[in-house]
Amino acid sequence: MKNNIKVERAKKNITQAALAKSAKVSRQTINAMELGKYVPSTVLALRLASIFDVEVGDLFQLEESDWE
Amino acid sequence: MNVKYLFPTRFKMWGWIILIPSAILGFADLFAEWQPAFFDWTVPALYNNEILGETTYFGMVDNNVLNEIFGILIIVGGVLVAFSRLKNEDEFITKIRLESLVWATYVNYIVLLLAFIFVYDMGFLWVMIFNMFTILLFFIIRFNWQLQKLKLNARHEE
Repeated sequence: MKNNIKVERAKKNITQAALAKSAKVSRQTINAMELGKYVPSTVLALRLASIFDVEVGDLFQLEESDWE
Repeated sequence: MNVKYLFPTRFKMWGWIILIPSAILGFADLFAEWQPAFFDWTVPALYNNEILGETTYFGMVDNNVLNEIFGILIIVGGVLVAFSRLKNEDEFITKIRLESLVWATYVNYIVLLLAFIFVYDMGFLWVMIFNMFTILLFFIIRFNWQLQKLKLNARHEE
């Protein structure tokens, strides 16, 4: 699964640490998601979308490999 | 995400305070075979099978309880260290916790399997003694090592 967390974060000019704090997760979690190493739960995905004020579908996209 | 069955964060420190001294003294006791008379107690036993002696069910037995005390403290300390919620415990860390637990279980039983095949008699008794605690030890090492790796990665990023 792809995501635009890093892009959205740059748009809003907030650090990983600040995003982690508002999403109530650790900074490692934000970092792992940006690197594509962790797929968040639905709740966390909704929380992130709400923080960035976008739809979940704008923040996360399926890839081919997600259908395998 | 809240994981059930974890202890509150502050218990972790108490876990280390209990675990470290009791592990050091416990293993020293194991090798030195201290049996101070102060710890010679008569204790209730569900089952006691003495070597070259009688078998007791639901009776009282004479025993030096020092090694039991160390064993209990190591288990309690180890469980608290392993299963206290981290300050920043979230869904990703929970995933790492679970993966580390699976990993530790595999490693523990691989070691035991190898010991089944290659270690015999009194040697195997020693393996069993250590094996009582190694699953916790392997979990604590692996979980903390993974967390450390993530922390380093995250630091590089920013």
